[in-house]
Amino acid sequence: MAKVFIYPINSLILSDLVERFGHKPLTMMSQIREKVTNISLDSPPINITSEDPKMGLKYAAIEVPAGVRGRMSLIGPLIEQTEAAIIVENPPTNFGCVGCNRTNELMKYLIRSKNVPILEVKYPESDEEARDFVNKIAEFLKSLPKEESEEGKEAHEEKSAEEEDKK
Amino acid sequence: MSAEDSGVVKIALVSCGSEYAGVQPEFDEAAAKVNAKFVFPEIDVASIDTIGKEFGLEVASGDLRLMMARAKAVVEGTTNVDGVFITTCFRCAEGAIVRNEVRRYIHRHSNIPVISYSFTESTTAGTLLTRLEALTTIVRRRHLLTREIQKGITAGIDSGSTTTKAVVMKDNKIIGKGWVPTTKVLESAEEAYSQALKEAGISREEVQALGTTGYGRFLIGNHFKAQLIQEEITVNSKGAVYLADRQKGPATVIDIGGMDNKAISVEDGIPGMFTMGGICAGASGRFFEMISKRLGVDITELGALAVKGMHENVSMNSYCIVFGIQSLVNSLARGATPEDVAAAACYSVVEQIYEQQLQEVDVKEPLILVGGSSLIEGVPKALGKLLKIDVLVPENSHLIGAVGAALLASGYVEE
Amino acid sequence: MTETKKEEITKYIVISSDKVLPADAAMKIYESEFPVTVKETCFGLIVTGPKEEVDAVVEDIRQMDKNHIFVKDRGFPAGDERRCRASRGGGPRPGFHFLREEVEMLPAIGAALDELEADECLKTKSKEKCRLKVSELEKIIESELSR
Repeated sequence: MAKVFIYPINSLILSDLVERFGHKPLTMMSQIREKVTNISLDSPPINITSEDPKMGLKYAAIEVPAGVRGRMSLIGPLIEQTEAAIIVENPPTNFGCVGCNRTNELMKYLIRSKNVPILEVKYPESDEEARDFVNKIAEFLKSLPKEESEEGKEAHEEKSAEEEDKK
Repeated sequence: MSAEDSGVVKIALVSCGSEYAGVQPEFDEAAAKVNAKFVFPEIDVASIDTIGKEFGLEVASGDLRLMMARAKAVVEGTTNVDGVFITTCFRCAEGAIVRNEVRRYIHRHSNIPVISYSFTESTTAGTLLTRLEALTTIVRRRHLLTREIQKGITAGIDSGSTTTKAVVMKDNKIIGKGWVPTTKVLESAEEAYSQALKEAGISREEVQALGTTGYGRFLIGNHFKAQLIQEEITVNSKGAVYLADRQKGPATVIDIGGMDNKAISVEDGIPGMFTMGGICAGASGRFFEMISKRLGVDITELGALAVKGMHENVSMNSYCIVFGIQSLVNSLARGATPEDVAAAACYSVVEQIYEQQLQEVDVKEPLILVGGSSLIEGVPKALGKLLKIDVLVPENSHLIGAVGAALLASGYVEE
Repeated sequence: MTETKKEEITKYIVISSDKVLPADAAMKIYESEFPVTVKETCFGLIVTGPKEEVDAVVEDIRQMDKNHIFVKDRGFPAGDERRCRASRGGGPRPGFHFLREEVEMLPAIGAALDELEADECLKTKSKEKCRLKVSELEKIIESELSR
């Protein structure tokens, strides 16, 4: 089972498909859950305090706006766990955690600079494209290792390196 | 709070993600203090795809498009609100462009009062309080703000950061004035008020209503049992158009105070858009005080000096008060004349107000300059030169807050 | 404020099925013994409860029409007032708009999953569009102008 980063990170379709094909989606929802169910905090609505943008300094410098760093404090830890990623281009309008395009640019960049297998697909606009979209994602997810062993991880890394070479 | 203040004021929050910057609780806290509530205008999601084109401003971030759609919902009345708070992250160019254009759009298409602000994670409820207080006042006390004539015997005290001003008014005339440096807030207020009463020849018991404003308004308001305790944005706009006799129609009020400055766009004496500066005291009376001290002149002489000088001869940037003083020292060392330095100081302050504040409000004539610094002749001269319009400095422009408070307090005389 | 124990989770079940209605799915949960909270929404159900139970319930529901019932995690428990429209002052939570957009795509995704399952995967690879090279563009302009 691979930990798969999805973009948009709150996508129903992507998180469902990743889980359906036996992997673990890394989603914003789980990060938010950790925040909002932490009963020692009380900073509604999502319990982000002024400390969070400071934690975001790990991913972006101080001159980057607070909203970007606050979002990155949630997304950054997911990027660190990422073993594979699916990035959807031109997704429908995004709001909230993915409503800031500067943050989105940064997170996609950080994912792409990691040496993990990445699938980049376009958001479908017709039935035909939807079929292609699902097929590509299914194929990609099937190619990822099912077992989460150290060996598997290594083998997988080799495989992705090979793929890189082919390109 | 009096009965007329009851009822929650609904403010539309048009923001690109204050929830993710850790400031939302501060926003909520400030709103709660003035009995206001933020609402999130309902929008048609399909409009998000077209709003950029419709607005003529296409941006990449979904939340910024959401801001435009929410502004549209407010203007078209889909969502009923009393005021709008537009806010984006400090240092975001995309956000700043949208914030400004959305603000203009609402102002152009409705009479709903708007404030705009850019936040950092360190923005506190305290910073927002005066702004939200002004916004809710405009909503709640519109009838009070329409008052154009002072009646009976009333007084106003403006407890500012640097000076405390007091006036006593009778039948639409100022009959007593007091102006003292602020040391201990209450003592200074006592002194200024006593001066004004003495000059007016009136006892405290004869004063029918009292209004307080400025930083110390709550403390002195409670001490003197004032009928009206009001923030300085609404009070000063009222005072400015009253003193300048421009109560009808549009006006722009620029108030350079001891610690900060304000730019307010006014229509019929009621503020529509406003902004408060305060990143650094470089664009305030405090800067002029330091310049005067360094030049060895009294602050009252600085203006006359400045009028004789040429600001172009000295490069000075008062964005930061420390660097401002540094460039002054350097210029003097290089042999600049005190006249040129004084003129440069005035120009620098005005330039900063132009760059920081006047981008946030639309300047409409007449431009009324008030606050203690308006008495430094070099300041209105520099401002007029920069904006290429005539700047109006009404008589008693430094007493603006006290006069505004006395005028508005007379609303309590007839009761 | 809603207090939630650490191990409690919430899942969003979106039903895009001809065979199963949200009410049917809800009924199935009510009839089951699982100690979970269920909230019906316009798209399906929100289920909150202990992780194991929620996972089991969700799997049961998914099996009712597995290619047309979709699941995602949700950060907030069902009916949390911090995200509730009524207490938050109108306007839906930010994720709602995006969810609505995605829901429109679900019938097509479901159909694609059906096909994939039937191993009818037709790989129609449309030629990808890309930006013209400047030199190519120049040629086209020249040929157009010379007409």
